[in-house]
Amino acid sequence: MIPDGLELPDVKETSLFPTSTLSQAESYERFVRWDFVLAQVVVIAVVAVYARIGPKFVRESAAGPIGTGMLLAMLGLGLVWLLQLPFGLAEFWWQRRHDVTLASYQEWIVNGWFGLGAEFLFVCLAILIVVGIAQVIGDWWWLPGGAAFVALAALFSFVLPYLIPGQEPLRRPALQASANSYEHQLGLDDIPIKVQDVGGETTAPNAEAVGLGPTRRVILWSTVLRRPFTLDEQQVVVAHELGHHARKHIVKGVAWYALFAIPGAFLISRITRRRGGMRNPEAVPLGLLALVVLSTLALPLQNVITRHMEAEADWVALTLTQDPQDAEGLFKRFTYAAHADPSPPTWSYILLETHPTGLQRIEMARAWRAREQSTP
Amino acid sequence: MVFEPPPIEPSSLEPADQPPDPNRHPIRVVVTDDLHRSRLTVGFRLLLSIPLWIWLVIWSIGVFFAAIVNWFLTLIKGRSPLSLHDFFASYIRFTTHLHAYFFFAADPYPTFTGKPGYPVDVEIDPPERQNRWKTLFRIVLVIPAAAIAGALVGAPGGGGNSSSYDDQSSGTSSWESGATFVSGLFVLSVLVWFACLARGRAPHGMRDLFAYGLRYAAQTWGYLFLLTDRYPNSDPTEPPADIPEEPRPVRLAVNDDLRRSRLTVFFRLLLFLVHLFWLVLWGIAVFFASIANWFATLAIGRSPRLLHRFIAAYVQYIVHVYAYVFLIANPFPGFVGAPGTYPIEVEIDGPERQHRLKTLARLFLALPAFLISGTLNAVLFFVAFFGWFVGLFLGRMPLGFRNVGAWALRYGAETNAYLFLLTDVYPYSGPWEFAPPRPVPPPPEFEPEPEPAFT
Repeated sequence: MIPDGLELPDVKETSLFPTSTLSQAESYERFVRWDFVLAQVVVIAVVAVYARIGPKFVRESAAGPIGTGMLLAMLGLGLVWLLQLPFGLAEFWWQRRHDVTLASYQEWIVNGWFGLGAEFLFVCLAILIVVGIAQVIGDWWWLPGGAAFVALAALFSFVLPYLIPGQEPLRRPALQASANSYEHQLGLDDIPIKVQDVGGETTAPNAEAVGLGPTRRVILWSTVLRRPFTLDEQQVVVAHELGHHARKHIVKGVAWYALFAIPGAFLISRITRRRGGMRNPEAVPLGLLALVVLSTLALPLQNVITRHMEAEADWVALTLTQDPQDAEGLFKRFTYAAHADPSPPTWSYILLETHPTGLQRIEMARAWRAREQSTP
Repeated sequence: MVFEPPPIEPSSLEPADQPPDPNRHPIRVVVTDDLHRSRLTVGFRLLLSIPLWIWLVIWSIGVFFAAIVNWFLTLIKGRSPLSLHDFFASYIRFTTHLHAYFFFAADPYPTFTGKPGYPVDVEIDPPERQNRWKTLFRIVLVIPAAAIAGALVGAPGGGGNSSSYDDQSSGTSSWESGATFVSGLFVLSVLVWFACLARGRAPHGMRDLFAYGLRYAAQTWGYLFLLTDRYPNSDPTEPPADIPEEPRPVRLAVNDDLRRSRLTVFFRLLLFLVHLFWLVLWGIAVFFASIANWFATLAIGRSPRLLHRFIAAYVQYIVHVYAYVFLIANPFPGFVGAPGTYPIEVEIDGPERQHRLKTLARLFLALPAFLISGTLNAVLFFVAFFGWFVGLFLGRMPLGFRNVGAWALRYGAETNAYLFLLTDVYPYSGPWEFAPPRPVPPPPEFEPEPEPAFT
């Protein structure tokens, strides 16, 4: 746990990075931020229009209420995808221009198409649950429906490790030995450390803790295991991810999701009553609009939660590695490699940042060192 | 509308001295074949056709150069010169005769000149004025039709000849020269070969299917060689197919209005995903139900009603879903295959008594039907591919595309129904749904009885 009342020292970003790096990161992120904002505005506008015109597409269905609901939901998502294409393309072009991604335009198109297919399947499952339950118990669907979504989220977290492609066992004995030691210190069972080869797709460094119970694992992107990252820095990454497992962040994430999903389902059931409730497929476009608006409103709160979890994992990593210097080096490299702005504007921090900023992470490393030095 | 063989009034069958239909296609196939086949010539047909193929190759060299000249002249004058028109017309007739002979769609040995009068013959109208833009872009415009014709019959002029006017070093010639021999109808002709040898007759439905393929191919090559600027018509109404003698247990019902929603057309493949998922899940249950049905039908001589209903719903569902994904219908289908809910569907009769020997060997017996279904599905694929663009731009599906697709779906459903033991009536490959109604014989004239003589 992060000690109560921990005060982060005030570090100037100009003392950490050359001005050219800072201006480059700021320029890169500015584009990404505004692209996101515009895309989000378009999404809400499109879904708002669709909430009005969507019910007309009922005539394009020969299916019953559930099938028709699925069609309307898929068409809504399809329209959103279509109108977001220019923004996605712009972001992809920007990433290619800054060598953040190595994927080709063809790969981007194919991946986008497959991604939309997966979204279609997921939304069909969601509609099957919502409209199916609403057929039986009417406007009370939100209670078992919300519970079903939480169960699905837990199931998804459980099986996610098997859905991530291209995983290989870690073949770095020194790093594996460190991981074993950290697991022992944290009282964790043997958690596999896997490496995902992303070399052909991106240069950005990343790692993730995934799975629940017996499926738990840490996945390191292959970019983390390459130069310029040193073994000490890689140890910080592994310790950070094991910290997520030790603090049960994935279970807590599902619990947080429940706190959002069940009231969210209740609100959607209330909002869609004017269209006859979710038992009526014509209410699906309005339900989609409610979902998008509520998700956007919940974004700042969700980011607060994930930032807190990430900070906690950072603290665990510092405690395990006892190496604030390399932790600081790692966070600096993230800025260089991913063109991450170490201190983004406040609105962007609230809306977009799921992790503490680079500057905050460095400040935490220094706070940890100061705390250690002051402790006899 | 459900396709039954409806009777019509004799008066409407009058040949009439009416002028020809102005909408009729300038290139037509006329079938006068009586289905009789000589077993001797059938046995050696491949060898017997060799001189014809060689002649076709030689002729095709001339056709290639003449086609270039004809293109320039048609572009300048706005119509094809009569001499060249006749030259191509003879060539297309000869190609059609040769293919009909080779595919067992006709019996007599064809002439080398494409002389009219063959049992599967081509009628070609005299040259007419053509749109110059269509002439200019003919080689591009012909691509969709050529893809469908290629899937059915092979490359232009029958494929076997095409190597002659290709650059031999390009590597494409061997592909094209083999096109006839890998085309759908060639694969099916192997089946017909066995049938003709065994029975001395060609199967009726298959002959109609071949006649359709040859007609479409003739129209395509006629379009390519600038005999007309009318696009090939994929509607299986021409040449008129025959209606099977026996009633069919699986019948097509079409209530589609050809309108297509552009948005759902654009996303059609992705919208199909959820149905694909359900199709696979339900298919697993149907697999086990079919095994149970096989044992039950073998034991009691008919499919149990419950299993019949369960499997028939699945067959119906496949038709709905395929009609949707292949753009043969517009609305998003339901998930239970309920009859009477979809614009393109099949009606399946209830359980009937089935021959036990046919039941025993059903898997083996169904194989030829699957080959035929595969050929029609290849056409269905091209129809969907090109229909996607048409649907997106026009918001409509062409009638011909819709009908040929519906025919393919009906045949697929019949094949599935046969495989899953819903019926023991073999699938009928001809497009009988689109045949003209069978004439009703006029009632016998009333002859008044002679009045008794009063004595």
